[in-house]
Amino acid sequence: MAPTLLLAALLASPPTAPTISGPTIASDSVVTAVVPAAPGLALPARPGVARYQPRHLLLQTGGGVGMLSVGGGLSFARRRLDLDALLGYVPARHAGTALTIASAKVKYAPWQLPLGGSGLAFTPLAVGVYGSYTFGLRNTGEEGQYPDDYYWWSRTMRVGPLLGSSLSYTLPDAPSGRARRLTAYYELATNDLYGLSYYLNRRALSLSDIATLALGLKLEI
Amino acid sequence: MPPFFSSSFLRNALVGALATGLSACELVEFSPNDHRARADQKDLTAKNLAHLTAAPLSPGDTLRFVFAGDSQRFYDDAQDLVRSVNQQPGIQFMLISGDISDFGLGREMRWIDNELRKMKVPYLTVIGNHDHVANGREAYQEIFGPLNYSFVYADTKFVLIDTNSREYNFNGRVPDVPWLRGQLADLNGASRSVVISHVPPQDGDFDPNLRDAYAGTLRETSSLVFEMNGHRHDYGVGQPFNDGVTYVNSYAFEKRKYLIVTVFGDKQFRIKQVSF
Repeated sequence: MAPTLLLAALLASPPTAPTISGPTIASDSVVTAVVPAAPGLALPARPGVARYQPRHLLLQTGGGVGMLSVGGGLSFARRRLDLDALLGYVPARHAGTALTIASAKVKYAPWQLPLGGSGLAFTPLAVGVYGSYTFGLRNTGEEGQYPDDYYWWSRTMRVGPLLGSSLSYTLPDAPSGRARRLTAYYELATNDLYGLSYYLNRRALSLSDIATLALGLKLEI
Repeated sequence: MPPFFSSSFLRNALVGALATGLSACELVEFSPNDHRARADQKDLTAKNLAHLTAAPLSPGDTLRFVFAGDSQRFYDDAQDLVRSVNQQPGIQFMLISGDISDFGLGREMRWIDNELRKMKVPYLTVIGNHDHVANGREAYQEIFGPLNYSFVYADTKFVLIDTNSREYNFNGRVPDVPWLRGQLADLNGASRSVVISHVPPQDGDFDPNLRDAYAGTLRETSSLVFEMNGHRHDYGVGQPFNDGVTYVNSYAFEKRKYLIVTVFGDKQFRIKQVSF
């Protein structure tokens, strides 16, 4: 279901320019062309370009992608599918050198349960994957330092699965009419190297040994 | 009811994570290269040395220790090794010839310590090339301690030295031969010496420009019982430079074997292989 909706959303909104039919409109005029929305999608009738502006801002700690990470993201499929990008920082005292970590994640949360009329909603499960690239590591190999394939894994790139849940609080609508929420979330994740270590040592290691925890806030704008 | 199943699953996962004693601090990992650790998993070299020297060998007892290496990514094997070592009578400590971790990550070093701290005897390590990867050097220093160090036990000076030259891109300063020379020139009252490093000097990962100086230093040390290495994952004992200096290589944990080394007399030794 989710990939179909994502595809529909993408088809409905080409990234370059809105689909405009009828008489030619001057480039500086206000574009009000109606984008055909996919059935079942509650997307506002706005130029496609706007859909690629971040729809939410993120502030996070942990999860292997920064002591402090900030970012933004897009939502698709009635805000069940999030595509996020974060930039994180780890000071040298915690990692030997100061690290900057760029990460991206895709998260899918199929259920949102309103909690009475309190304005709160609980999202019991989100699943996703993330990838990260770390800048600033000390020893990642210089030209000619190692023979080919001396170390088979990347020192800078990590990928891993994640799962989590969240609690949202409804805020006043944005001027555009979009519903806004402030969401507190956690994510349990791991990475490829921890996952491999666990897979090869299921007696000595447990899932909790390889788990990382991220805590974050998401503000829809 | 998928939502309820999911939330109870999550709750179990969280409870499980917390029940094993992981502090939230360690769980909220900033990066895999984040080397923060619980206080009792920092400075392990100093802690284990204090443990060792608190129980000096009584006169008449024989120096006997376990020699193993390359624990990297072999945690199930580490569990079995600990069980086996705990049944060995008359041993005083264990030496690990480097590559504690596989990917140079602090969490890997702590996982190995989680197993090895269950031993009845303390263990001491020297840094391996895998422990240098990415920011592993800093993680090793935080969790274990100095890259070059020495201690005296049972009339023997043990000198542990970083020989992972390739990790410094052969900068000509690793191993620190002048430091080694100084350590062996003054045995702090001991009569025998043992040198332990990860990469053996005859290996391609050892700085070729320092090979002669290193091997020469050992050759000139009359108190030297032998030099001990890891890196090759397999047992070996020999004199690669045909100069009277014996080099002993350890089994990796994955080989499910370790050595029990007994040193006696002037500088005589006996090596026993144990399978586990």
